[in-house]
Amino acid sequence: MKIVVCIKQVPESNNVKFDPVTHNLMRGGMSGRINPFDKNAIEAALRLRDAVGGEVALLSMGPDSTAEILRDGLAMGADSAYLLSSRAFAGADTLSTGYVLAQAVRQIGNVDLTLLGRQAVDADTGQVGPIMAVNLNQPQATYATQLTANGNQLTVVRDLDSLTQTVELPLPAVITVRAEANTPRYETPLHIQQSFEKQVTIWRDTDLDLDPEKLGQKGSPTVVRKVYAPEAKTRAQTALPSEPAAAVDQLLVIMQQHGLI
Amino acid sequence: MTEAIWIVAEREPARINPVTFQLITKAKAIAKGKKVVVVLLEAPDQQFEQAISEYGPDEILLGQNVAYAQASDEVMAGALTTLAREYQPNAVLFGATPLGRSIAPRVQAALQTGLTADCLDFFYEDDLLVQVKPSYGDNVMCEITCPDRRPQMASVRPNTFAAEKVAGAMPAITPVEVAQTTGPQGRVVDETVRVSHATGIASANKVLALGRGAATPADIANAREIASRLGASVGVSRPLTDLPDFTVEQQIGQSGTTIAPDFLLNLGVSGATQFIVGMTQAKLVVSVNRDAQAPIFAQSDYTFTGDAAAFITALKQRMN
Ligand SMILES: Cc1cc2nc3c(=O)[nH]c(=O)nc-3n(C[C@H](O)[C@H](O)[C@H](O)COP(=O)(O)OP(=O)(O)OC[C@H]3O[C@@H](n4cnc5c(N)ncnc54)[C@H](O)[C@@H]3O)c2cc1C
Ligand SMILES: Nc1ncnc2c1ncn2[C@@H]1O[C@H](COP(=O)(O)O)[C@@H](O)[C@H]1O
Repeated sequence: MKIVVCIKQVPESNNVKFDPVTHNLMRGGMSGRINPFDKNAIEAALRLRDAVGGEVALLSMGPDSTAEILRDGLAMGADSAYLLSSRAFAGADTLSTGYVLAQAVRQIGNVDLTLLGRQAVDADTGQVGPIMAVNLNQPQATYATQLTANGNQLTVVRDLDSLTQTVELPLPAVITVRAEANTPRYETPLHIQQSFEKQVTIWRDTDLDLDPEKLGQKGSPTVVRKVYAPEAKTRAQTALPSEPAAAVDQLLVIMQQHGLI
Repeated sequence: MTEAIWIVAEREPARINPVTFQLITKAKAIAKGKKVVVVLLEAPDQQFEQAISEYGPDEILLGQNVAYAQASDEVMAGALTTLAREYQPNAVLFGATPLGRSIAPRVQAALQTGLTADCLDFFYEDDLLVQVKPSYGDNVMCEITCPDRRPQMASVRPNTFAAEKVAGAMPAITPVEVAQTTGPQGRVVDETVRVSHATGIASANKVLALGRGAATPADIANAREIASRLGASVGVSRPLTDLPDFTVEQQIGQSGTTIAPDFLLNLGVSGATQFIVGMTQAKLVVSVNRDAQAPIFAQSDYTFTGDAAAFITALKQRMN
């Protein structure tokens, strides 16, 4: 089975700060890491490969520094990696990102399965997987917790919070993976050493079959027009008496006044 | 032609997810003359249009087909795409549930438009739907718009808005026929409801929330007893989901459940941002913490600074 895992570089921490003067987001100096859910996708891919044979390729769109997270994924045991890096991709929203990644999957060729994380922890959208599936004209299973290969079909259990759903998917297909699916393996010294011999292919926009209208900011219908810190709303904070018994008595009176008991 | 705001009804096996009703009420409040239309795809014997009607949308587009009883994302998205192409709504809203967040981006990609995930608010500026969404784990808010393409699409976090019934509402119910979705598609072979809605914290009227400061076996047992007397559900902060007593289904917060009860009693909860975002819609909030500086207090109507176990014990005694 030929599996592609899409991985994204996200900021080291979500503790972003605002510049007190410009009100701009200050992200400078923060190093990147693999989106944590994408490690679950890599792990799921490696387990499928171990079960039925095949190969696992990593795919990421981002600046050249993204090569570092591809190296981390190779050190987990993936076989090869593709980096899509071009100024033409800058400013892409999910629609454009999903399009470019799908075109790269086509170019890689004969891909049976595309795996992604359930969502990226920076913008928390979870849209890229389904968008790729539509671009590739493939079925999908999002929020997957179990993947079982049987022949040209995959049985996937989806955890939809209030509902557990089991779907049978014909391959090729796109799947996004929940953290509950597995515990990602650590990089081993041997794999880290081997990762430096593995191939990382870099593709620019001109290396892929792309419609320029669908790239970068031009290909992105959404506009972020304002970014701000959430306003800290506070409540009355009326203190109850300091003796537990008296406090509880007053609480019950308050509850009665609100028609709660 | 009056332009419409569409709300895609989220059908669970045996009910409509309450987020659908919340979206109807909110959409009516911001519609400014636009029609509020619910799109309902269901099996012919389900008849969820009755429950939806009570919240007073202007119209329900009703697609009935046995295939919708257990439908794949491909089938649902295919039908919605076909309908959106035909009716050209101005905006399409989904609940930001796992199912809504799976189907919406397929429709988005097919229609080549914008989609904002997990909105906490939205409003119109003329024809532009301004969508307010958090980023970086709710540490940042963004305003997102889709100026040049239609429909404007968003998924909206459940329990962010209150749902209100409209007395005597009689929406027009328009049957629609949608051709069967073709192309590669998954086959749903099983669906099991995981949460019992009766005891789930998401729809509970009263919630007792336990944090690490109220996590002893005695605290838990006493809280459960008080909860059953009050008709309340017991929720927890994330660390307590590691205990055998609780799972993520009882977890309040960003990576758990957003709650909107009339009454919330926080016991030994510090009030981390990820917890707070799950409880801002609670009406009356009372918090107990021995640390007077605990961030949870700023989010509380009433506070008790002291030992949670002593408070719980006193409350249990009063209930007897
Ligand atoms: C990506 C991410 C997502 C997360 N999602 C969630 C989420 O959805 N929900 C969630 O809850 N957390 C979430 N967290 C974790 C969150 O950051 C906090 O760690 C967690 O909420 C803390 O739980 P707590 O308040 O019970 O524990 P603590 O922070 O340890 O607080 C315990 C509190 O109890 C008080 N206390 C101690 N003893 C007593 C006593 N005897 N009597 C009275 N008070 C006492 C202390 O003063 C303290 O304020 C998330 C974290 C991350 C990074
Ligand atoms: N630039 C990217 N390169 C590779 N994969 C991506 C990229 N952006 C998103 N993904 C994948 O899509 C998933 C969902 O991302 P998102 O839709 O941004 O929340 C991530 O977990 C990744 O697997």
